[in-house]
Amino acid sequence: MIVLDPNGEKLNLMPLNVGPSHPATHGCLRFLTALDGETIVASVEEIGYLHRGFEKMVERGTWQQVVPYTDRLNYCSAIMNNIAFCRAVENMFGVEIPERCKVLRVIVNELSRINDHFVCVAAAFQDLGGTTPFMYAFNPREEIMCIWEKLTGARLTNSFARIGGLYRDSYEGFEQDVLAALNSTEKALKDLHACLDRNRIFLDRTVGIGKISAEKAISYGWTGPCLRASGVASDLRKDEPYYDYETYDWEVVVGTQGDCNDRLQVRLAEIEESVKIVRQALKRLAPGPVDIVDPRIRVPSHKLAYQDMEGLIGRFKSVYEGIRVPEGEYYCGSECANGELGFTIISDGSGHPYRIKVRPPCLTQFAAFHELVEGGLLADSMAVLSGLNIIAGELDR
Amino acid sequence: MGNEAEKPNIITSSLDFLVNWGRSNSLWPFPYGTACCAIEFMSTEVGRYDLSRIGSEYVRFTPRQSDVLLVSGTITYKQAPILKRIYEQMAEPRWVIAMGACACSGGFYDCYCTVPGIDHIIPVDVYIGGCPSRPEAFFDAMFDLQKKIKDESYMKQRAESVKEQLEMIKVKTAEAKCEAKTAIHEKVVDIKDFMKEKQENLVKKAQFWKE
Amino acid sequence: MTVEEIFAALEGKFDVKREPLDKWGITAVVAAPYLHNAVQFLKEESGIKFDMLVDIAGIDYLTYPNHEGPRFAVSYAFKSMKNPGARIRLKVLVSEENLKVPTISDLYANANWYEREVYDQFGVIFEGHPDLRRLLNHVEFVGHPLRKDYPAQKRQWLSTNDYLLPELEKRLEELGYKVIQRSKEVETNDNEFLEGSIKE
Repeated sequence: MIVLDPNGEKLNLMPLNVGPSHPATHGCLRFLTALDGETIVASVEEIGYLHRGFEKMVERGTWQQVVPYTDRLNYCSAIMNNIAFCRAVENMFGVEIPERCKVLRVIVNELSRINDHFVCVAAAFQDLGGTTPFMYAFNPREEIMCIWEKLTGARLTNSFARIGGLYRDSYEGFEQDVLAALNSTEKALKDLHACLDRNRIFLDRTVGIGKISAEKAISYGWTGPCLRASGVASDLRKDEPYYDYETYDWEVVVGTQGDCNDRLQVRLAEIEESVKIVRQALKRLAPGPVDIVDPRIRVPSHKLAYQDMEGLIGRFKSVYEGIRVPEGEYYCGSECANGELGFTIISDGSGHPYRIKVRPPCLTQFAAFHELVEGGLLADSMAVLSGLNIIAGELDR
Repeated sequence: MGNEAEKPNIITSSLDFLVNWGRSNSLWPFPYGTACCAIEFMSTEVGRYDLSRIGSEYVRFTPRQSDVLLVSGTITYKQAPILKRIYEQMAEPRWVIAMGACACSGGFYDCYCTVPGIDHIIPVDVYIGGCPSRPEAFFDAMFDLQKKIKDESYMKQRAESVKEQLEMIKVKTAEAKCEAKTAIHEKVVDIKDFMKEKQENLVKKAQFWKE
Repeated sequence: MTVEEIFAALEGKFDVKREPLDKWGITAVVAAPYLHNAVQFLKEESGIKFDMLVDIAGIDYLTYPNHEGPRFAVSYAFKSMKNPGARIRLKVLVSEENLKVPTISDLYANANWYEREVYDQFGVIFEGHPDLRRLLNHVEFVGHPLRKDYPAQKRQWLSTNDYLLPELEKRLEELGYKVIQRSKEVETNDNEFLEGSIKE
């Protein structure tokens, strides 16, 4: 297309479509660019290619049946989504979960965060042409996956958390497995830093690319590592602490430039912080119950159901009718790997959710994508995209 | 090919063996990854599972250079035309693997926006269950596909083998379109008017600038 | 300054009401004409500056038990970056006859996509929105799927993808460029546009 630029000069722009099936658009994102040579003049994004109707589907089941759907929001760290949802519903009930459950939740939360950040960093380097970091990052990830298999029975979509507790207690030898995974995580981190920190090609492609100022990022509603890379120390685990996060010894990682390199380095540094938290949490792991004892919220155990009439009735009602969440409207956000994952829950007091609206952290980040890439090269847009870590499952729901 | 050549004899069957051996051991996948299963496919590629053991490590991201279309993840109606086009762009011989429950049948997303199985759009050779499928299941599917390829005859046109499936899909598509047409008619008029209006506006603007 | 005080200030200025359904936080029900000013007040003037728009959610009260009043509602969630932990929600009730809400996309950049989503899923029209299109569903979709009267399994076929080029031209114009000659792809045959890749 032929256009006049703001100075009145004639330009011949080429529209180029990227995606939705493109190696660097993990999942299915699409953007259309107008190119002047190799420079992106304008870009528009289109989403919705993985719109699976989460919000319509959950209205048809009971409250417990929402948990498997939340797995598929951010499938790189499924357990985190489970916990975020269960926390929101527990807050509506106003119940406190047992101490062991809290600590276990912190452990699996942070392990998921490690998992998620590894996928993001690995995929980013794969997109920029480096295969070695991809292999390095996936080794500890596979180890964590093995823990998930032993703990939950699934590799990726775990459905581990339950409203008012967990699916099950940890298995024997859980601590040793986690410690081993942490050790290999640290080794992989060392390898990754050796690959990247002084890598000329990598630095040339990421430093100063896709810059965004803190004000703009806030106006776009960015949260999580991407906002922290712009220099805003905002982390829900510190700001609105839950599960005693404030009592652990860890730091909020903050970047300086807000460019692509910062976003990836913040993620790597956050893995280190997560390792710290998990090590401390393992020491706090004391024996005790993981579920709250209340048949209105958590299904009574098998043992109770087989020996006690009340337990049997409670189990039957809880499975058949679903739990009854108090009537009302509530918004609850939790700090997930990509940022604040929020659930706006509207309950009419019956056994089915009336409406659940997800606030995906990716949506706000992808909404600002055109601001990041305009004026840059086409090849840089790939670096920007992988640095943002857009997960289509939660972007489109 | 003439009819005589289609009858199997010692030359053609040896040729079949050779060609199929080559094809089955260098299946280059096109990962049409949309959702969770794509992450499991990434795990399949790396160290622990190592897809290159069966000659498929070379993941091609262009349909023109790949043999296997690996649909991993939910396909929505918004994506269906794209998947169809990518399938059409692939050169023969081509095979399709539907990875995961969503690609096979829509999975537990029984909703207004998800296609209930990609066999409504394109013919499928191997289905893998699981939500998401484990890497082992993916390997199993690749072995199945290799077996299937070894049974094929080089002389026969591959297109004929999927003819039946294609016809079924055509019927399905026609049905769906009939249904959609009644609902969509109003909307189509809207889009047309909208496009016309937009075009007129742009023409007006262009004239204004020229002046 | 606490959120309660801000709510009191809102009450005095914009005649808001407290939503009794929200027992865990503060939700102010505001009338649609005052929405823009109320949001501006929250963002710029109030003691706690609510500088981040967290979420916009549409709600359809069609089957809500014992519900009286307008059918739809749009709920806005805000949080403050300077005062961590300070959150407030605004809610606008929208009747089915007059599905109009003023846009706040001039105040918050991310409101643009959130409002498009609410329009897509519920059909609420945001007045003054720069580019009100569907966000998640495809261009040929009829109806608004998250309304309670839309059957969950009513599937709608898409014949081909949209070209997005008109939007690109719009974006170019926003940036100060002027399109003289449109690219060839825009002037597609209408039949081709509707037939698309999936041919009978």
